[in-house]
Amino acid sequence: MPSANALRLQIERTLESRFPAALSPMPQTVRETAAVGIAEIDSLLSGGFPVGAISEITGPATSGRTCLALAFIAERTSEGKVCAWIDVNDALDPESAAANGVQLWRLLWVRCKSKAERANGKPWSRLEQALRAVDLLLQAGGFAAIVLDMGDIAAEHGRRVPLATWYRFRQAAEQSRCCLVVLGSDAYAQSSAEIVLECAPREARGRTVFEGYAFDVQLKRQRAGSANASVNRSAMGSAMGAMRKPAASIWTAPNAWATGATA
Amino acid sequence: MSHELYACLYACEFPLQALLRLRPELRGNPVAVLSGRPPLEMICSMNRAARLRGVALGMTRVEAEAIQGLRLLCRSMECEIAAREVLLECAANFSPRIEVTGGETWCACLLDIAGTERLFGPPAEVAHRMREALAGAGFRASVAVSANFHAALLKASASGGVTVIARGQEAAALENLPLDALNLPQMQAETLAIWGIRLLGELAALPAVELIARLGQDGKRWRDIASGTLPHQFQPAEPQFSLREFCEFESAVEQADSLLFVAARMIDSLATRAAGHALSLALLNITLRLEGGKSHQLTLRPALPSTDRKFLLKLLQIELAAHPTPAAIVALTIAAEAGHAGTVQLGLFLPQLPEPSRLDVTLARLKALVGEDRVGSPVLEDARSADAFHMEAFALGAPDRAITDRRPRIALRRLRPPYPVRVFCSDQKPVSFHDGHQSYSIAVAYGPWRTSGCWWAPGDWDRDEWDVLITQEQRAHLLVNDRRQNRWQLEAVYD
Repeated sequence: MPSANALRLQIERTLESRFPAALSPMPQTVRETAAVGIAEIDSLLSGGFPVGAISEITGPATSGRTCLALAFIAERTSEGKVCAWIDVNDALDPESAAANGVQLWRLLWVRCKSKAERANGKPWSRLEQALRAVDLLLQAGGFAAIVLDMGDIAAEHGRRVPLATWYRFRQAAEQSRCCLVVLGSDAYAQSSAEIVLECAPREARGRTVFEGYAFDVQLKRQRAGSANASVNRSAMGSAMGAMRKPAASIWTAPNAWATGATA
Repeated sequence: MSHELYACLYACEFPLQALLRLRPELRGNPVAVLSGRPPLEMICSMNRAARLRGVALGMTRVEAEAIQGLRLLCRSMECEIAAREVLLECAANFSPRIEVTGGETWCACLLDIAGTERLFGPPAEVAHRMREALAGAGFRASVAVSANFHAALLKASASGGVTVIARGQEAAALENLPLDALNLPQMQAETLAIWGIRLLGELAALPAVELIARLGQDGKRWRDIASGTLPHQFQPAEPQFSLREFCEFESAVEQADSLLFVAARMIDSLATRAAGHALSLALLNITLRLEGGKSHQLTLRPALPSTDRKFLLKLLQIELAAHPTPAAIVALTIAAEAGHAGTVQLGLFLPQLPEPSRLDVTLARLKALVGEDRVGSPVLEDARSADAFHMEAFALGAPDRAITDRRPRIALRRLRPPYPVRVFCSDQKPVSFHDGHQSYSIAVAYGPWRTSGCWWAPGDWDRDEWDVLITQEQRAHLLVNDRRQNRWQLEAVYD
């Protein structure tokens, strides 16, 4: 009686012309990860954001998106690496960035202009400016992380970015080993995104003083073929039982003065 | 026995050569240079092709314009000064002792090359290398080597190519040169012509005592020059190392792209000259003289000194695109500051950083895209006012300052400029606000936090800050009451 291995080889040889290696598992790429610096998120993502890929952080205002991205940038700059923040709406608060531990001298901040500020009749809208800036920085290489902050633009505008653009960003990020983090109210990169985190506000903390916020984070999407993803899913699957809910976590971001008081 | 040895680099038709140095495409065409004030302009210099078409010195513009296919350029003294500096610098690569001499339409550098045989080889080889170096810089020059200063100058001016006069053979080498080579005063030249003296050899053969009796001490001096025996007190010039190139256009240039063709050659020349001193270009000051007399300044400051022409040219192109000139360009000056080429010690365990020259180009492109002041690193100001920061140029290798506290804290997303809102208060606490489109009722309002400052300066502030949580959506806002103007503004969103 032929062994299972011999049988598998025989089937594969028969189907070789139509399906190469039909019964052999596909080789999986173990992607390097970069820690976010928030224990709950790192455990949710099994290490952090994937290096050389697009990660999306989605959610409404006051859902902790910016805080999460700043924590990640703080972690990367603390390693001596340089990062970029492409700000579509010029919304970044450098004080908050510094309070989160971002080494500002290692951060390149590109503030896209509003229509009123645009001089000489330059034809690009702010979103187009931002996309061009991301393109330039990915091509230049050497940036450990680039945050494309589309947090304040309407979701319908973000969805207008062609999929080809995201695909190009994905390829460029992979080649330059750059973590491209996209902040938005919705997921825009679709199949080009390696992971999609969905953030949501949970509850405010504080009685007389606004001390911070607790946030919910769900891992909405993780590209198939990633070893990390499968490990994470199975771990969360056992925790969630048969519900098939996406992996989720809760974390709290205190206010700068609140943690200062407790520390 | 004398050990003197001189090499003469002789550039004839210097006004023309100075103009054609940066326009090599014109070299094969008949070109002549006009000098003087209109309408009394006259031909002062021309190339061989122009001479073959019948152009002669002293021709007026009208006469010259009648010759078909002749390209006429205007003499530029600034171009000649820049070209003389380049010539001197080329010569300085072979000897530090250089005497510069010149006339109305020629320029010569006489180099003391005694003792350079071990460095550059025998005199003939040195002469060939000098000629090649000059050709690389855009000059067509003749080179003559001799133990006598005047013999080298006369031979170089009278013959093209490379000539080496053996020691003691100066008289023989000069004997067939015409008497005009001495540039004698008209009266003495006529006297010698009446005597039937046409060549330097004939002048050298005249008896010295009788010549002095008739022409004085000048006669003896000319005789000694003609025989190659007049000694010379060498007066070396001290070339100053300055990197400057100038080009004046025949007609005003409106397209920046056509400017780049000339700028490329100028940058190339500057980079080569800097590299000759083992240096690179650290800063380029570009001055564009515009129609109407105004000028337009641009500055290129690469992160690391560089001699990469393509890279510097790209920076210039982006800078020109970002700062277009208000009028057409009539002249271009590039002055460079030299610096030591950057050396980067690469390490296996060092973090991956952008390549400095590529980053320069990227930053220049980003600045052209979003604006000069909107790209860089934020620097917090030592102030208590809201949103107090300024932008600084993003640079690699900034001094490391460790930040130990990296705990995540809720961040603000600023609304720039702040959004004016109408706020409704109850018991001096905001209970709802209206942003012009919609009303939001406030669930919790934390505050107020009153801050004020700078009352002695124009940028003073006096305000109450409220952290408000909205009922309808789970959102936290920073609401500010500007007490000076009694105005409520939505300044940021917590995120």
